[in-house]
Amino acid sequence: MTTPARRPVSASMTRRSLLGRMGALAGAGLVGPTLLAACGSDDKPVAAGGGGNGSKALWFDNWPAYIDEETEGLFKTASGLDFKYTEGYNDNNEYFAKVQADLAAGRSIGPDIIAPTYWLTARLIQLGWVQEIPFDKIPNAKNLVPALQNPGWDPDGKYSLPWQSGMTGIAYNIKATGRELKSVGDLFDPAFKGKIGMLTEMRDTVGLVMLLTGEDPATATADTAEAAFVKIQDAKDGGQIRQFTGNDYMDDLASGGFSACIGWSGDIAQLALDNPDLRFVIPEEGGMSWSDTMVLPNGAANVDNAAVWMDYAYDPENAARIAEFVGYNSPVDGVQEIFAAGDDFQKSLAESPLLFPDADTIARLNVFASLDEDTEAAFDERFSSIVGA
Amino acid sequence: MAADDDGDRSKRRGTWVPLGLLSPGMIWLGLFFLLPLVTLARTSLSVKESRFAVNADFRWEWSNFTNAISDYSEQFVRSFVYAGTATLLCIAIGYPVAYVIAVRGGRFKNALLGLVVVPFFTSFLIRTLAWATVLSDNGPVLSMLDRLHLVGALDSLGIAQNGGLLSTHAAVIGGLTYNFLPFMILPIYVSLEKIDLRLTEAAKDLYNNGWQAFRRVVLPLSLPGVFAGSLLTFIPAAGDFVNARFLGGPNNTMIGTVVQDRFLVQLDYPTAAALSFTLMAIITVATLMYARLLGTDDLV
Repeated sequence: MTTPARRPVSASMTRRSLLGRMGALAGAGLVGPTLLAACGSDDKPVAAGGGGNGSKALWFDNWPAYIDEETEGLFKTASGLDFKYTEGYNDNNEYFAKVQADLAAGRSIGPDIIAPTYWLTARLIQLGWVQEIPFDKIPNAKNLVPALQNPGWDPDGKYSLPWQSGMTGIAYNIKATGRELKSVGDLFDPAFKGKIGMLTEMRDTVGLVMLLTGEDPATATADTAEAAFVKIQDAKDGGQIRQFTGNDYMDDLASGGFSACIGWSGDIAQLALDNPDLRFVIPEEGGMSWSDTMVLPNGAANVDNAAVWMDYAYDPENAARIAEFVGYNSPVDGVQEIFAAGDDFQKSLAESPLLFPDADTIARLNVFASLDEDTEAAFDERFSSIVGA
Repeated sequence: MAADDDGDRSKRRGTWVPLGLLSPGMIWLGLFFLLPLVTLARTSLSVKESRFAVNADFRWEWSNFTNAISDYSEQFVRSFVYAGTATLLCIAIGYPVAYVIAVRGGRFKNALLGLVVVPFFTSFLIRTLAWATVLSDNGPVLSMLDRLHLVGALDSLGIAQNGGLLSTHAAVIGGLTYNFLPFMILPIYVSLEKIDLRLTEAAKDLYNNGWQAFRRVVLPLSLPGVFAGSLLTFIPAAGDFVNARFLGGPNNTMIGTVVQDRFLVQLDYPTAAALSFTLMAIITVATLMYARLLGTDDLV
């Protein structure tokens, strides 16, 4: 997700979009590699190697507005740990650029837990830059939903634990479109010329359009993705696409800049509560699914404390509190049951297909192929030349 | 002898004082401009062994430059067209403003200058986002134009596109003009302020009318201000990426956007560095040509 500032209520729309755009700007700073390295290394905890150093410190650097307001305090009280929760993770590529030099040199980057999206998780594992998670100290990890055990990005399930998952589909404002949308092809309808948004997150945009061109994103190669790239390029050149955005697509959707766009389920789950005109659909061709994960970067000093946090976050009660706020798909089993037994609002969440997609929907979701280094570089290059940067 | 010593000492002091005064600036520039520039030059001629390698190997790789220019000529041209148009608009808007403040401002001079600077109390980013809000599809500008039935006309002029004002050339140029306007007004004001107005009276005594007096006396004397203002506007505008990012669409990207993307998304430091150098070179040449054109060598 390029600039996700996930937050549920529309009252915070302005803050959300501002956060998203600030993130974009932070990412836009023209800083050389050495300077970037310097940014990544400030505020380092005293390196103590491994875990078990008896320290009470713990630092989780997550995406903005990706947790409710109570959990941080509740966890501090419950665990007695000096828990530092920051929202410095604004963009996968930007974050990678920031920590790359330190991790490559074997230095600590500061936070004990970071929250890369699945494909970056795969890259970090491949580069050997993350530590194994001490699952023996996380009994609640057994609550991880079966579908996310040993996932493609972490085949042995040793290095990562999902934070939240979500679906990528089509978000639209029915007042602007005048009709229900159900196909990816609707994004290319000339009636919506100049009113279409797509995501800067390559895998979401290209994956969805690949489904339209009849290809399987799960096995994407340069050849099979070519038709999708051409289609996106033509749409951009022809003025069909208004903008490629990060999380700020929400703003454009609400303000009428976009009639329809590629979007993320959790955003619409929350916004639709206030604006029933906003809809989200997994198109008939299928949708994309993704996860943001918790990983322990090399040099993280407080691995044992990180395990305490992960155990806490995987307790269904705690997971339900977080899921209620962020509106994505919780990777923790038992959340739906807790909502079903809760108040009216929670009951409505338990029945929401956005939070708990049915088996049919899940069957139509795709995870983008894990690309090797050269292919990924070629995809990124191609995509960024279309996005116009 | 004693007198000679004194002379030596004062001469020595004479050489050390300017050096001492210059050194903070020199050290600053050396550390934070020259050194990074040399690093950047090296990077621009280097090759990265692998995509996630932190360092690039220096190899006199001139193809970084040729590739960068051929791949991104469109963005280069667009950047200079945008920046050039914005500079001309800044002159067109800024000169009369500066003239009125300098010549007719009277006791309100300082207050008026203050008003020119007031927007600077807000950050560049916030000002640009404010423009995005003002120009948005549900924003005040569009709804007013809609009520006046002007949207269709603007659409056919190419200022609006598909009934919207954002993601257009006009929006980006407008944002650049707005954001850099004070950099044009202030230097022009300074140069106009210095002009002895009795010169125009003299011109009129010599049978020039008001317009001729302005064109033959005031305008040439204010050219250094126009020149300085143009540089302060054109150079940052050509490298700007904020306006294109928030006011433009995928067909309005500028070279700054590309450099940012190359550096931070593609981790392609050599190309980013080569692009930066190319931008610098073009701007330098353009500036020299402009100086020639205005004959500023004699004026400054």
